[in-house]
Amino acid sequence: MNLLSAEHLSFLYGNRQALNQVNLTLSAGEVVALIGPNGSGKSTLIKLLLGHLSGSGVIRWNDRPLRHWSHRELAKLVAYLPQSPQTDVDQRVVDVLRLGRAPYLGPIGLESERDLRIVQQVSRTLELDELLNRGIDELSGGQRQAVFIGRCLAQEPKAMLLDEPNTFLDIGHQLELFKLLHRLAKEQSMAVLVASHDLNLAASFADRLILLSQGRIVATGPAEQVLDPKILSQTYQIPIDRIDRPGKPPLVFPSFDR
Amino acid sequence: MKRWGIAQLLLTVGLSVALWLAVALGCVCVGSTGIHWPAPGQWAYRWEPVILSSLVGAALAAAGVVYQAILRNPLADPYLLGVSTGASLAGYLWKLQTISTLLGALGLGTGAVSQQFFAFAGALISVAIVLALSSRRGRLEPLTLLLVGVIVNAVNAAIFLLISTISRDLTAVPTFLIGGIQTNLSQQQILAAAIAVAIGWMILMWIAGHLNTAILSEGEAQSLGVRIHRLRWTAMVVASLITASAVAISGPIGFVGLVCPHLARLVVGSDHRRLLPISTALGAALLAIADAVSRLMIGSAQTWLPVGVLTALLGGPFFLALLWQNRRRMALAGGMS
Repeated sequence: MNLLSAEHLSFLYGNRQALNQVNLTLSAGEVVALIGPNGSGKSTLIKLLLGHLSGSGVIRWNDRPLRHWSHRELAKLVAYLPQSPQTDVDQRVVDVLRLGRAPYLGPIGLESERDLRIVQQVSRTLELDELLNRGIDELSGGQRQAVFIGRCLAQEPKAMLLDEPNTFLDIGHQLELFKLLHRLAKEQSMAVLVASHDLNLAASFADRLILLSQGRIVATGPAEQVLDPKILSQTYQIPIDRIDRPGKPPLVFPSFDR
Repeated sequence: MKRWGIAQLLLTVGLSVALWLAVALGCVCVGSTGIHWPAPGQWAYRWEPVILSSLVGAALAAAGVVYQAILRNPLADPYLLGVSTGASLAGYLWKLQTISTLLGALGLGTGAVSQQFFAFAGALISVAIVLALSSRRGRLEPLTLLLVGVIVNAVNAAIFLLISTISRDLTAVPTFLIGGIQTNLSQQQILAAAIAVAIGWMILMWIAGHLNTAILSEGEAQSLGVRIHRLRWTAMVVASLITASAVAISGPIGFVGLVCPHLARLVVGSDHRRLLPISTALGAALLAIADAVSRLMIGSAQTWLPVGVLTALLGGPFFLALLWQNRRRMALAGGMS
């Protein structure tokens, strides 16, 4: 059974068709990367799947229509990391991690022993123990992103939807992030849907790629198939070259002259 | 890392009450003639201004925490948002002969509850105008918000002065412009305000855990299971209610709602489950001290310095310092969604 299945998703921003008849599934333990140019509908798709936007089509989580899920129940199943998560200047790392327990809190925000244990576990998994009492604004970009992933993990989700989580990271931290997402999927059977502009990272760590262009899926499947220079050139409107590597996903890059 | 369980809750609330009680006891010893332990017969009237100022201070400080959280603006304050003057104006209108006759004729009563209701309506109308004028496509611009608040305050004051001049009754003018703790209130007025503030505060405390998510974007809060619109509206209405209840008995006292949340944040950080009780206690304690000091400074049986003068003198520079500190951040952010 699929954790998520979505059929015929469409969405209009004013008169512009932001998504057009998109179908998608997501299963436990799988990393799926959403790729495509700016404005191709990646963020819109993620927001539709979470119910932050409502368009047409059918979305089912655990075989139950999205509208039958309460916010709180869905938050225990799916975590979401937006492109630029919001913070307060006074927040410490531990405060951000604890926010992940919001769907489980009792009245007056009372926490259980379990809430605290989960936060400690997450902090250990992501090696954040040393940073717990540091202000979130004092951290480097890579550390901050780890904290926000931690907030998601504290929700104990079965799925994580991430919108361009590597935007503000250097190449080393981008690699670390994708390794982590891959590890979570394989070790904890998490379903990960990640929107990214880095085609090669996506190809290396995702089980499947979904290429969006102008709100439509133009290609979907393993990297070898989706990273077709002809399709990519058409989609991104620039010439793209590809290098095939035995036993590894191909590398693609814009072929440009000065 | 400590768990926020029932023990932590009780400890925090207990500490807050103890903090306030210590200050309040000290303030009871302050009379208009000096500082000394009150004689047995003096307790009742020594307690009254302390209780009243504490009630008003607590309400304003709690409302300040909530406004700052839901508007994601460290400069938000019931006074600056125009809520206070709106409630004061409506509270004043309620006292007018024509209005009370009309209310009596309509069978709506002229008691303390209907005064509270009037003040609440005034607060909500003001806050609705401020929010409507300072939001653009659902986004609240922090600086526009403050400017609109200032203008709504000015208009409320103008309407008040116009009416009081026409009705040739200028006795209420000082209290409207700068609030103070009056000791000529009826038991019902005090009780109605105290009950409204207590109920409002408990509702705010109930949602305090979720107020922590109010700093997040809509999508983030929703994906943490929080119905953010409902939370913001509940918090806004309840904060306006307790502001209105306090202002109905004191007039607009500025800066308490701005300063106390920031002081509390320095002590307990940004977690609203701690911030709300501690800030409330600080508000109660600080206004009780300010009121005692103002009575000590210029006090006699006939006249006293409205406590709003003192809070404005101390709070004004604090606000400017805060504005200075936030200038860069707000210039960079450009606006809030």
